[in-house]
Amino acid sequence: MSADLVRVRAGAYHDSVTLMRVSRTAADLPGVEVALVAMATGLNRGVAADLGFGLPEAGPGDLLVALRGEDPAALEAAAAELDRLLAGLASRTAGGGDGGPAGLDGPGGFGGFGGCFGGAAGFAPRTVGAAARALAADPGPALALVSVPGPYAFAEAMDAIEAGLPVMIFSDNVPVEQEVLLKRRAAERDVLVMGPDCGTAVIGGTGLGFANVLRPGPVGIVAASGTGAQQISCLLDLAGVGVRHVLGVGGRDLSAEVGGLSTLRALAALDADPATELIVLVSKPPAPEVARTVRDAAAGLATPVVGALLGPGGGDLTAAAESVLRALGAPVPAWPSWPAPGPARRKTGDGGARGPDGPDGPDGPNDANGPGEPAGRDGATLHGLYAGGTLCAEARLVAGAGRFTDFGDDAYTRGRAHPMIDPTLRLEALAGVPAGDVALLDVVLGHGADPDPARRLAPAVAAAVARGTAVVVALVGTEGDPQGLGGQAGALRAAGAAVFASNARAARHAAALTAGVR
Amino acid sequence: MSVTARPRGPRSSPVRADATGAASAALRPVLEVPRRPARVLAAFPSAIYLEVRAGPEPRVVAVTTGGAVRLPNALMTTGTLPPASAGGEAWVGDGAVELERLRLRVRRWWDPAPPPDPAGPARLAAALPVLAGVCDRSPRRPGLEGSDAAGLLAAGCARASLPDCVAAAERLVGLGPGLTPSGDDVLAGTLVALRHLGTAAGARRAVRLADRLGAAVAFDARGRTTAVSATLLHCATRGQACAEVLAVLRGLTGGRPLEPALERLLRLGHTSGADLAWGLRIGLAAVVALAGDGANGAARAGDRANGATRARDGANGATRAGGWGG
Amino acid sequence: MTMPLLSGEPRVITAGAEPLGEALDAQAVPRVRVDWRPPMPGTGADLARVLADPRRVEANEVAVGRLVSARPRLVTVRPAREALDLPPGTFLHAGPPITWERASGPMRGALVGAALLEGLAGDPEEAGRLLAAGRVRLEPCHRHRTVGPMAGVVSPSMWMLEVRDAEHGGTAFCSLNEGLGKVLRYGAYGPEVLRRLTWMGEVLGPVLRAALELTGPLDLGALIAQALQMGDELHNRNRAATSLLVRELAAAIVDAAPGRAAEVLRFVHGNDHFFLNAGMAACKVSADAARDVPGSTVVVAMARNGTDFGIQVSGLGDRWFTGPAGVPDGLYLGAYGPADANPDIGDSTITETAGLGGFAMAAAPAIVRFVGGDVPDAMRATRSMYEITLAEHPAYRIPVLGFRGTPVGVDVALVARTGLLPAVNTGIAGRVAGTGQVGAGLVSPPASAFTTALTALAEAAGPGGGPER
Repeated sequence: MSADLVRVRAGAYHDSVTLMRVSRTAADLPGVEVALVAMATGLNRGVAADLGFGLPEAGPGDLLVALRGEDPAALEAAAAELDRLLAGLASRTAGGGDGGPAGLDGPGGFGGFGGCFGGAAGFAPRTVGAAARALAADPGPALALVSVPGPYAFAEAMDAIEAGLPVMIFSDNVPVEQEVLLKRRAAERDVLVMGPDCGTAVIGGTGLGFANVLRPGPVGIVAASGTGAQQISCLLDLAGVGVRHVLGVGGRDLSAEVGGLSTLRALAALDADPATELIVLVSKPPAPEVARTVRDAAAGLATPVVGALLGPGGGDLTAAAESVLRALGAPVPAWPSWPAPGPARRKTGDGGARGPDGPDGPDGPNDANGPGEPAGRDGATLHGLYAGGTLCAEARLVAGAGRFTDFGDDAYTRGRAHPMIDPTLRLEALAGVPAGDVALLDVVLGHGADPDPARRLAPAVAAAVARGTAVVVALVGTEGDPQGLGGQAGALRAAGAAVFASNARAARHAAALTAGVR
Repeated sequence: MSVTARPRGPRSSPVRADATGAASAALRPVLEVPRRPARVLAAFPSAIYLEVRAGPEPRVVAVTTGGAVRLPNALMTTGTLPPASAGGEAWVGDGAVELERLRLRVRRWWDPAPPPDPAGPARLAAALPVLAGVCDRSPRRPGLEGSDAAGLLAAGCARASLPDCVAAAERLVGLGPGLTPSGDDVLAGTLVALRHLGTAAGARRAVRLADRLGAAVAFDARGRTTAVSATLLHCATRGQACAEVLAVLRGLTGGRPLEPALERLLRLGHTSGADLAWGLRIGLAAVVALAGDGANGAARAGDRANGATRARDGANGATRAGGWGG
Repeated sequence: MTMPLLSGEPRVITAGAEPLGEALDAQAVPRVRVDWRPPMPGTGADLARVLADPRRVEANEVAVGRLVSARPRLVTVRPAREALDLPPGTFLHAGPPITWERASGPMRGALVGAALLEGLAGDPEEAGRLLAAGRVRLEPCHRHRTVGPMAGVVSPSMWMLEVRDAEHGGTAFCSLNEGLGKVLRYGAYGPEVLRRLTWMGEVLGPVLRAALELTGPLDLGALIAQALQMGDELHNRNRAATSLLVRELAAAIVDAAPGRAAEVLRFVHGNDHFFLNAGMAACKVSADAARDVPGSTVVVAMARNGTDFGIQVSGLGDRWFTGPAGVPDGLYLGAYGPADANPDIGDSTITETAGLGGFAMAAAPAIVRFVGGDVPDAMRATRSMYEITLAEHPAYRIPVLGFRGTPVGVDVALVARTGLLPAVNTGIAGRVAGTGQVGAGLVSPPASAFTTALTALAEAAGPGGGPER
């Protein structure tokens, strides 16, 4: 029989993603079977209750630690270790920390910030407004990255706008009327609002949110879709073309309600940037009247605009990347792919491993049904298990049929981290794909994403392949990403997956597997 | 959010301490190739200079902390630098620098030569006295004050006379003490200003002069000055400069406040900042002079760097063929 | 021109999920980390409405601008009946409105003392019956441009400091400080208390008035600015300010009333808090300048009556928003302990409202131990107040913080967002009427005063966050 240990630390606040990591660490501690370390919100209390923990009185401002294991002494030791870990987080919080003002002691010379009693009696800013005041002493560019829970994002974003700073709102679940208000206020102050629900931005090489390590170059991207922008910018990077800025605008920006306020502003900003020679606009189909406005605005720019418009009638993201390359006069390369190793495939048309510059040459959209594709599994079902919304939509369109699930959707992220960070739900779903069927997954690399997605995914892929499920992976990333494109591809391929740098190609491959050679 | 225990797999490279940082895109030729051996040229608390043993420029990599000058050949880390001393071994390449037990990987690239905002000759002409005034009033004096080689360079640039400029450069390269001799700094400032401000004002003659003078300087810099300075001169011929110089350029084209940026530049190093500022002043004066005469001046001011036109022509087709409403 | 954001490498302010910030650290991006935490429970919807109010930013600029640009001058001293047009049978008291039934010990004691002083009753029992029967009209000082320390009871015959704002033209009043020990403001009403009050009305007040006629108006703002640099925070330490005031007035006191000068100067010398009341009136006249700006979320009064802690907000007129007054946490005199302490009382929190007192603790290391802390605590207290205020005072500066201006202009929205309550340091009154001061310490205002004010601001802002533009 197992023992429970439940503690409440009143008033100790940490963000949910940090606590997820702490939870994971806790689960790894000796003698711990189940660990929940979370703020005692209604939702988390529910989770704890479902796990069978008896809970004392606690509110959303209190930290809940719940551990289960065989040995009460081991649990005590684990709780002590957690306290030590959390104290470390807290002291970083209180001091302003190494990551904070110290990092600013650059040549910029933030004289005065921190004052003469800097360290000991310093007080870390509690609001974006206070932080903006601390930065105001230096005239260099600055922006705010807001990723607090959605209901509270408005206040922090408004602080940035009122301080004249651009803001990226990573948070989701921000009411649309607040989005409209923020964007109108931003227009008055001539600042850019990226988001809400903006997962990706790159400013002059600086990656914000889920962004890839990109080399600066002539392309600027305006993105109403984070993963869509990541797919295009990674393909361009693989083709040797740099991307200078990716300005996210949030998935709702091109809706009738928001009216493309940020898209228009981002287009104008990139047009005015002398370093941006070509603009790519990535989006799901906008509301018709907004489409007209944006089209007119794009036509009026001095910088050419390539539209990557996903949806019936639009091309796929890979095709968009290719038209960007052609527009720049750059060659379109063979998009890298790493075919599944022999044993997992019933019949191979194209032999062993194929690298980015493999001997088989470009494997373009047209040969999806060609002899290079594997023989299929007639009547098999395609299961799209996606972390990226746009990638999911693209794969659905390209594949034409199948059951697609976007695990990045709000319905799956409430109360847990994004699947790019926490793969648990997707791994469960992968385990549930029946033998004989085909599983299609995206794996997105870059800043902020799982530091080694293959570590947990590869064993699950191997298990699926072993029981007769074919696995196809769209791997979105660059060689410069912290995880490394090649290493991740190699690990997933070794586990039995067919891996593609292009999501569209991955989807075509998966569809061909289900349909068989026609 | 229940998390179950998982086995801990072995982690690779247990000996090395991994760190990350940001690198100038100027270093891509040395960092994005298979790793090569390098040696420590010099080590300071906030910067360690590594020289790759062979190959083309840039051959010197400045590994710096966030507090150091943002050189165009810098790989900057937020962490601390490992203990190192001149002559020590290192490796550069495969996307990283390996130094003692530290493996420093690139997580961000910055552009050391961002194209300038368009700025007409009139705007630049108005900025010249401001730049001159701040430099003249500053207690930070250039290292070669009184030497006539810089004057020769200024005169040659203003007339776009390549022979005069090259003659002046002959005398300036390697002139002065230290890792980056004053003569090199003046020359670097001039080259960067000619290229960027020439582009900003549409003064093609200035950009052409930067090309040709740069080629002449780059040709034999390695034999005539320190390795560090040769790499920085090489960067300057491509318009690549430290963040402080770039900020002044943005101030000159009107995008940012000029005087604080200039004050910051002047504070750099012993005389480096003042030398660079002097070079910028020579380049600015030349661009103002060269943009004024010739049909390519004001008419083309505001146009972009050469590549843009090509991209634009090509992409119009793509716009039609591509997404919107298509 | 390129948008500034795109013309270089940005520095980043991060608020929220820390891994996103760490990803920036790995890229060697300079960043400032916001130590964010959720707002006070239940304030989310109200905050969104208040922050969306298009009037807010400008209204707050106006309100705080007025608060910090006020130029308080001590112009004269005169009886309350004359200065305040106070009719017989009306007493003023500290804090939000209160009845005899709800009044605490020291408040009741002070009211009894005032009734005796005014000759409305012959003895304390009779005074108590009179007050309990509602025969004396009780009104808050704040309603009459007045502030009073501790019980803050003002009756018609008491002499008042009159302070005028040379910038905006307002006027504010405060009684004369009686000194420490058994005094009316702590609820004592014994014969020596009444004797002293009588002497203050007959001698101290008239002498000060005569002296001020000779000196002309005294610049209190300048005295406060100097005192801050001499170790006062102007709420619990007024020693430097009192000394400066005496320097300004001494010669004129001698000239105006040679026969009384010695006793007046001796009295002032014996009371380190003599300046407090003048400082409070200066703060009151400054805060009043910030009143009645529609849409403003700036606090223009914080005050306690020994039972409730109340605040008033610029955009919400004269409405009080109250919560239960807390018991200060601090050091006790002699054998007194927490059990002897009365809940928080007095209008002296007008000093914090104007950016002094607890907000300026960093300026007064000498008293941090008196109020139960150490020097880093004082630094932290002041630094934390910058998080809930909208400005730094241009004249009131703190040397040890590099002459940074004191945090001033408490924003109700920022209090709700950060959960940081104004830092108040205060004297502690004895619970039993007539005990006097039992200690001093720090006290937190009740959060509910701010959350109810926020709700009212949200209602005033309208459903869409203010009128459509």
